[in-house]
Amino acid sequence: MVNPVLLIAVPLGLAFAIPLFAFFWRPAAKYIPPAALVFNLVVSILLLAQVLENPLIVSIGGWQPPFCIILVAGPLGVLFSAIIALVGLLVSVYALDYIKEGPAEKYNMLFLLLLTGATGVVLTGDIFNLFVFFEILCISSYALVAYLRDKAGIESAIKYLIQGAVGSSLLLIGIGLLYGLFGTLNMADIAQNIKSVSPVSVFVPMVLIIAGLGVEAAIFPLNAWLPDAHSSAPSSISAILSGIAIEVGLYAVARVIFTIFGASSILLFLSLLGILTLLIGEMCAFSQNNIKRMLAYSSIGQIGLILFALAIATSYGVTGGLFQMISHTLSKALLFLAAGYMIYQAGSMEMSALEGLGKKMPLTCLAFTIGAFSLVGLPPFIGFPSKFLIVQSALAAKETFFSVLIGLALLGTVIEGAYFFRVVQVLYFKGEETNTPRKDAPVTALIPMFIFVVLSIVVGIYPKLVTDVLNSAASELINRLDYIRNILG
Amino acid sequence: MRRAVTIILLIILALGISRSLAKIPFGAHKTKVGKYYINEGIEETGATNIVTSVVLNYRGFDTLGEITVLFIAAIGLGAVLTTNVKGETRKIQPASLVLYTGCRLLFPLILVFGTYIFIHGHLTPGGGFQGGAIIASGFLLIYLGCRERRINRVASNLIESLGGLTFVLIGLLGLVFGSYFLLNFLPKGTANTLLSAGIIPIIYIAIGFKVGSELTSIIDNLIEES
Amino acid sequence: MSFLNSYIYYIGAFGLILVGFYIILVKHNLIKVIVGLGILDTGVNLFLISVGYITKGTAPIFSRPGIDSEYMVDPVPQALVLTAIVIGVAVLALALSLAIRLYQHYGTLNLRKIREQRW
Repeated sequence: MVNPVLLIAVPLGLAFAIPLFAFFWRPAAKYIPPAALVFNLVVSILLLAQVLENPLIVSIGGWQPPFCIILVAGPLGVLFSAIIALVGLLVSVYALDYIKEGPAEKYNMLFLLLLTGATGVVLTGDIFNLFVFFEILCISSYALVAYLRDKAGIESAIKYLIQGAVGSSLLLIGIGLLYGLFGTLNMADIAQNIKSVSPVSVFVPMVLIIAGLGVEAAIFPLNAWLPDAHSSAPSSISAILSGIAIEVGLYAVARVIFTIFGASSILLFLSLLGILTLLIGEMCAFSQNNIKRMLAYSSIGQIGLILFALAIATSYGVTGGLFQMISHTLSKALLFLAAGYMIYQAGSMEMSALEGLGKKMPLTCLAFTIGAFSLVGLPPFIGFPSKFLIVQSALAAKETFFSVLIGLALLGTVIEGAYFFRVVQVLYFKGEETNTPRKDAPVTALIPMFIFVVLSIVVGIYPKLVTDVLNSAASELINRLDYIRNILG
Repeated sequence: MRRAVTIILLIILALGISRSLAKIPFGAHKTKVGKYYINEGIEETGATNIVTSVVLNYRGFDTLGEITVLFIAAIGLGAVLTTNVKGETRKIQPASLVLYTGCRLLFPLILVFGTYIFIHGHLTPGGGFQGGAIIASGFLLIYLGCRERRINRVASNLIESLGGLTFVLIGLLGLVFGSYFLLNFLPKGTANTLLSAGIIPIIYIAIGFKVGSELTSIIDNLIEES
Repeated sequence: MSFLNSYIYYIGAFGLILVGFYIILVKHNLIKVIVGLGILDTGVNLFLISVGYITKGTAPIFSRPGIDSEYMVDPVPQALVLTAIVIGVAVLALALSLAIRLYQHYGTLNLRKIREQRW
């Protein structure tokens, strides 16, 4: 039996050890993150087979919950940690050649710690521990956004840091109120006792916690930092921020709403907020001329769609939301990775500089196109089954409210299609014929992109590959009584 | 306009929180978890300072995260502030003789005091973070008094990473000996003696070194750049 | 007066929190905003500590054998505050380093004047 704590302890230890390794052999620093993530991927996959039947609860320090911190390795957490490890691994391979300037040793440490924080957030069963890992995730991303130390990076990092710090203060106040009310920090224990206190006094900590986590999850009024931060970070970091950080934030929001509070009263509000986020994100993306800002706004749109799907709160809807998270992670990471070398080649992020790039770097542009098609939701890519599932579940909910909202969501998808096709058109059909030699991205970048493409096609054709896992993950989220029983016995 | 909106927002926040606070009477609360730690803490962990036993044993995983956060801040600060170009060396005005001598006199005393604080973390108020902060304040004093002195960055990086590694390895040893991460696998000893509480003093010493060198390197980076 | 007596710490804590929010939302100077973040952190920490307070409380340390544990305050919030303080220090240090760089790039710390990035 593998202990899920290894998923956190081993990468953490390796990250601490990077200066030691680099002291003896300088280039070691950049090979440690891929090694640690391979380990995580293998452990996650081993665990995944195991936890599908029975979730694994491990205590840290050897006491009984709620007196110690526990890790809950259910299908949801392990699925997320597998995805974090997979995407992180591919991006770290990409970064081997991509990160040339700056203190690379520090980049590698921060990168590995960011992913460790994300893994901790999805595995922990203790609300304060969630806060701590959330801070690991946030603080390392502040530093990484500023990694290039140019004007845009520093300015975005400052904005991100201020908003993030306010968010985490709100989160901490909420946790303090919960501790005052229930005298415990274990999520299952709080969930068990939540009905013993009047709903009014629970409502305030709930709003504070959701608002605090919502900053990182980029839910509508709290997402002003996102386009700046995601567009001025190095592209490998943008891929991680867009592909993993905001998804993990959304996971935390879902975990808090479904498991701890079991709140059905604010789900309608959240679904409305989701659609608002979606429409605003897509419309802003449509008006962008800077390709990375466009991708960042499109992440906001996708987050809105996922939030909407989760807020339907039927097992169908939550499955669809989780599926959309995976498809967004794979497609958006692919898009940012491809965009990184396209920008490198074109020398600018402006759309006009990308004209005719499809002939100069055919493989990279093909990868970008596939990522774009997948995100829009065209078959046979992974975006199609996930969006289809969301539409199906919204219609199956048999409420006119959701049907109207899903109509708006489809409108958002149309806008999304419009701007992505514009980019594809610029790449392939604009610009005069020049005889510049072909110069594609290096092999370390092409291999991760190729794997992303293969994954999105394979899962797009056989969605059955993931739906079983997703179903049990969704039922873990919805059946909070099972969760409580598993932990407290 | 901006002020008015802000004030209205804050009033809403205050009203909302006060609704919730009314349910948390001040000073009359003994929580389930807290009571358990106070009643069982000495028996189970061997540390007479219950806060320490919570910080390092019952909730040791939080502390692992916490030193990681500080580690990230130190690295991030280095990443943001290091420049490849060597700037012109600034003219350093030497400190006055009183300051110079005073700092040199106080420095070893501060180091000893900091070390005392983190070694006795399981017995008296204090611990690795507090001791580390005191040690870093000693180095800050040296930066003020003996202005041309600099710490050895390589050494401080190595101490940082060794301190963190010690914590993780002790945790993993617990996994090896008793199948729980961060299990207190060493003998607990008699309470109220220096050699008690199993792994707690060892971890606190590692944290003391790590926090001391991290805060010092943060100070060093900020001084270098300003 | 009894109300003040029993809730003075909460009032102080939330006073600090509100002052911190006000500074962050209204001020334009980055250093002032960072100071606001510091005040906000202090307020949150004070609040966490007061949640665990017990009237006539003593520190939860058994400094000599046979000490009465009746009035010992809750140790958990103290442990949480230790973590929260360290996290706050980390954020403030990073914010200050970014402020130094920002000043080198723009020659000003006024957030109103630093507007490269737009919606």
